[in-house]
Amino acid sequence: MFAVDIQNLVKLFGSVKALDGISFQVEEGEVYGLIGPNGAGKTTMLRILATLLLPTKGSAKVFGLDVVSQASEVRRIIAYLAEEAGAYRNLSGYEYLWIMAKIYFKSRQEAREAVDLAVEASGLGERVHDKVKTYSKGMKRRLQVARVFMAKPRLAILDEPTAGLDVIHANHIRRLVRDYTKEHNTTVIMSSHNMLEVEYICDRVALIDKGKMVAEGSPKELKTMWEASNLEEVFVKVVGVE
Amino acid sequence: MSSLIPLVEKEVKDLLRDPRIYIGLIVPVVILPIIGFTMSAATHSSIESAVGGGVKVAVLDLDKTQTSLSFLKFANTTGLKVFEVKVDTVKEALKELKGNDAKILIVIPKGFESKISSLEGSTLALYFEVKSVGFGEMSTFSAVNRVVKLYSKTLSDTIISSIKPGINPTIVRTPLNTTSYTVIHDRILSMPPEAVFGQLFMGYGIIVPVVLMIVSIMVAQIAATATAVENEEKTLETLLTLPVSRYEILIAKVIGSTVVAVLGTLFSMLGFALYFRILFPLQEISGSAHLGTTALPAPTPQMYLALCLSLLIAIFFTTSLGVIVGALSSDVRISNSLIGAVIIPIMIPAFLIMYGDVRSLPLALQALVYALPVSYPMIIAKNMILSELPVEAVYGIPYSAGVTLLLLLLTSRLLVPEKLLLLQHKILTRRMRRKGEVSEK
Ligand SMILES: Nc1ncnc2c1ncn2[C@@H]1O[C@H](COP(=O)(O)OP(=O)(O)O)[C@@H](O)[C@H]1O
Ligand SMILES: [Mg+2]
Repeated sequence: MFAVDIQNLVKLFGSVKALDGISFQVEEGEVYGLIGPNGAGKTTMLRILATLLLPTKGSAKVFGLDVVSQASEVRRIIAYLAEEAGAYRNLSGYEYLWIMAKIYFKSRQEAREAVDLAVEASGLGERVHDKVKTYSKGMKRRLQVARVFMAKPRLAILDEPTAGLDVIHANHIRRLVRDYTKEHNTTVIMSSHNMLEVEYICDRVALIDKGKMVAEGSPKELKTMWEASNLEEVFVKVVGVE
Repeated sequence: MSSLIPLVEKEVKDLLRDPRIYIGLIVPVVILPIIGFTMSAATHSSIESAVGGGVKVAVLDLDKTQTSLSFLKFANTTGLKVFEVKVDTVKEALKELKGNDAKILIVIPKGFESKISSLEGSTLALYFEVKSVGFGEMSTFSAVNRVVKLYSKTLSDTIISSIKPGINPTIVRTPLNTTSYTVIHDRILSMPPEAVFGQLFMGYGIIVPVVLMIVSIMVAQIAATATAVENEEKTLETLLTLPVSRYEILIAKVIGSTVVAVLGTLFSMLGFALYFRILFPLQEISGSAHLGTTALPAPTPQMYLALCLSLLIAIFFTTSLGVIVGALSSDVRISNSLIGAVIIPIMIPAFLIMYGDVRSLPLALQALVYALPVSYPMIIAKNMILSELPVEAVYGIPYSAGVTLLLLLLTSRLLVPEKLLLLQHKILTRRMRRKGEVSEK
């Protein structure tokens, strides 16, 4: 069984074709990257997986569960980081994690352990007790990523987890994704338009452009196949110069 | 359902710490007593200055007799600062006011004494110069009037005693008196119906509608803000991917907003209570001592239950509307400007019930009144002293519960992310296009 199984997925917004017949599979334990320029359809893809949007055609399955007909079962095994997701401004990071933990876990003991872990993972230190509204963009994102992994999901869905962050925050998040997933055998599907980052974290990537998949493989395979020194070059060669 | 608790906790904590919310909650508690203090201070000082001296009154005495002199002396003993102007006409006398920092002129006409002693009666002309609008002005004027009335009574006593010594002048003045009783539910209360009505009106005609209005508007506003904030901070998207149902999210919002709104209502009632407490001594001065001494019959427990139930349903109804408005707004500013336009029209029929007669309205308006759950607390409040629920309420409570449930259901339908994301995308692109147009120009 695949962690993610996408078959011929089409998503229309009126006349806009956000996804135009995409198919791919993600193995359990893999970190899978979607890369492509703005408007390529990455967010739309991830929102369908997160049960937020309904596909127009085709199917999407998470560990064999259909995202449309078994949406509430899917929600029990995923954790989703929305593009530019915020947290409740007037709660502290710690309170936010506690509330989320109480939703994800039924026993108080489990919730407490999860929160301790998430506080550690966020790397926010004492600032975790400050109100979210005093956080920088990078701190908010670290809190959110910590929340995602705190849930111990079978599939973590991350939409541009490092977009707009400075090197230090971005680095923290990249390391968190790499280390956590290897440790817990968590499957990750993430989007990015930073191709160098994807090369660093992802086991396999899909290049998406205008709702279509234009190439797929491990960063190494893609580079060899297209005789490029990095993924950015691969992308330019595949899509053609703008 | 166990996710409901953390969700409600999140709502209440996040709301109560939001300055946009807690400032709104604290304002009435602070502002109303301050208004009360200012008003009572102003009124007290003006009454003091009117009664306890300081008010200057000019008198033009065209009679110059024993009686006119005695009036001047009497006025001086009441604390007014009376001074005579030595001119011949009213016009000139009025000019004198300015120079003497006075606002009131009393003109004693020629023949004052002779007309009084011949029982023809005489008329004093009082000129009040209005210099500003305020409580102070009003009470100085009534202080002077009181002095004149008092003197008139003294004159009448003297006249009556001189005509028939040993008689009680009060009985001559008002030979016929009444004692009023009010009958409610076969109970006889020794107080006039105006007083009973006054108490009832204060209780159910003002407090219930004011509470209903504050709670409904506040709860809708809070629910709208809370939901719009979720849009603004992009937290709704996360919320909708959690292992919780849409109903739980919605119910948590409704409960959270209700808790905060009820708190807010308690605060504003505290504010009102302080306000009335501060102003209360004044009401005692104006004298209605018989009021409040006789207890009114308490409404039946069923009536209280019906009132609370209908209020709760009304609150849930307006909260749902608030959530809808908030969900459709991409930020708090938009939701704030929309919510008034939605809630105020809904409150109007409720006020028609309290202060008008529904049955005299055009049929279409009547239908509207009965269609809205917020109308029923008013219908019940208006009939609070009856021993049985009015027919409209008997059918109205289950009906409005149904309408509210339907609205909650509809709202949860709207919380489908597909629809919300599409809506937000539309708002966002429209705004970006508008910004683009602006920057192009
Ligand atoms: N909710 C929506 N309603 C209408 N069009 C949308 C919506 N979301 C995305 N789109 C359109 O779909 C296309 C793909 O967008 P998106 O998935 O956000 O791309 P990416 O995340 O790769 O930048 C874009 O043309 C975008 O304008
Ligand atoms: Mg995107």
